[in-house]
Amino acid sequence: MSSHDVTVLGYVLVVLACVGLQLLSLRPSSRVPSFTALLRRVMRGRPGRVGVITAWAWLGLHFFAR
Amino acid sequence: MTEPRPEVSLVRATVAAVVHEPVVAIMLVAAFFDGISGNPIHALLLGGVAIVLGRDIALGEPNPPVSLVERGGWVPPSWIVLGLSGAFAIVVGAFPRYSWPATAGVVAMSAAAIAVAWRGPLVARTVPGPLPRAGVIAWASVFVAGALWELAALLQQPSLTADSQQHPTISTLTDPALATHLGRTLIMFGWLAAGWFLIRQ
Repeated sequence: MSSHDVTVLGYVLVVLACVGLQLLSLRPSSRVPSFTALLRRVMRGRPGRVGVITAWAWLGLHFFAR
Repeated sequence: MTEPRPEVSLVRATVAAVVHEPVVAIMLVAAFFDGISGNPIHALLLGGVAIVLGRDIALGEPNPPVSLVERGGWVPPSWIVLGLSGAFAIVVGAFPRYSWPATAGVVAMSAAAIAVAWRGPLVARTVPGPLPRAGVIAWASVFVAGALWELAALLQQPSLTADSQQHPTISTLTDPALATHLGRTLIMFGWLAAGWFLIRQ
């Protein structure tokens, strides 16, 4: 397995971990919150809400803008 | 003893907000590194939002207590927003990455979204109370692991501006797709759809 493959595998594992946590959150009385619950908790106030949207904006700038 | 002038007090309070509010501090650090990496537009956006947010916190300006809909505002249905997003992505995606038209489109969309987010939630939603610590730590661990993995790939490049196929960053992996009109259109639509999802939270 090449360095390239190992690096990509790392990203895949991170995505799979997110999917796994989201699935765990669906169980009744789960101690793992869903991604939406996490977002709503973080975005309940202005700093968190503006911070999350600014992070999203930065992604767009990073991929498309000079 | 004389009271400091109001503007001096505001500057002090803004600095205190920057120190004590992690979101503001993170944005300022990100702006600094984007600035020294040759991305002045990114740095301006991050730094500008951080400073205004810090001032906002210093002034103690309250959040709008209710959503835009509850204040009598109108929120377009998702099918309209996503349809317009598709059209936007096709038009802006026709321009090469890092071109001025693409930059203008993304900056305009970003500024609009931040302005909307500033005014409060769009629709009424249930905000959960404190979340279970174990679950929050689990999510945070995954996000931090992802960020560190990306950072490790970045630091293993020949230089910060030279890509490595042995240790590709996510940007390097998406470069081939973003080199085509179709790829740019799909990825930009995904970005816009994600923004719509986020701003409705």
